[in-house]
Amino acid sequence: MSEVQRRKYSQEEKNAIFDGEFMPHIDSMYNFGYRLTFDEDDAKDLVQDTYLKAYRFINSFEQGTNAKAWLFRILKNSFINEYRKKSKQPAKVDYQEVETYYNSDDVHYQTTSDLRAESVKDMLGDEISNALNSLAVDFRTVIILCDLEGFTYEEMAKILDIPIGTVRSRLHRARNLLKEKLQGYAHNMGYNTDEED
Amino acid sequence: MEMNDNPSGERKKQCSDESKCFELLESILDGELQDSGKEVLKEKLAKCQPCFEHYHLEQAIRDVLKTKCTKHAVPTELADRIREKIQDII
Ligand SMILES: [Zn+2]
Repeated sequence: MSEVQRRKYSQEEKNAIFDGEFMPHIDSMYNFGYRLTFDEDDAKDLVQDTYLKAYRFINSFEQGTNAKAWLFRILKNSFINEYRKKSKQPAKVDYQEVETYYNSDDVHYQTTSDLRAESVKDMLGDEISNALNSLAVDFRTVIILCDLEGFTYEEMAKILDIPIGTVRSRLHRARNLLKEKLQGYAHNMGYNTDEED
Repeated sequence: MEMNDNPSGERKKQCSDESKCFELLESILDGELQDSGKEVLKEKLAKCQPCFEHYHLEQAIRDVLKTKCTKHAVPTELADRIREKIQDII
């Protein structure tokens, strides 16, 4: 969080910003917290911590700028710095997946699956959610930010503190992993995934 | 993109530069290329089968993520709890 304080807001202004610009995002914030932790109480704690920090550091928020991106960045940092540390769950889920993919920003875009648009459209919400939830947290995060919350690459770069090129390549890899999971479901459900067969 | 590739209006079966094309298509779908992307997109989708299929698959994935992912309702007491805590630190 930037410590640069442009000016000091009055108490009234603080409350107006908090109610008018911060609180409307509580829905997205809670869902982001939930999708990171898979736990209602942890999600609530993360959201509460985020809003308390946002209030405490409200002078470093420039009114009229993107409050949602600012709040998401605080929540993401709280998750990494506090939640992940105290979490009893070892963070080794899908680690290999992350390792093999992390070594470079270079991505070769190519056809990686015979999954078809039609079978994706037929999938159930549960299947989509399960596929997303099964991704390692860094991959899950970029998909949440881009596809579910509609942030731009530039906003994501700021939220995640990574270069735009890394946003693009991580997003591409995340979607490829997601396609692999969806393809698994498609096969199980007997969807036609390859018209050549 | 030579004219001869597409004499009958059918899409070519092989993409001449899949990596570049797909990266471009994905950026367009993510809203990163505004007007400059639209013309290129139209041309690729009309002329190239792999590009056409990739575009529609990527679009379907974005659509289902956006519309079908389970959303969780914010616990009703959360906003009140936050406001109370803030009263304490004012
Ligand atoms: Zn092509």
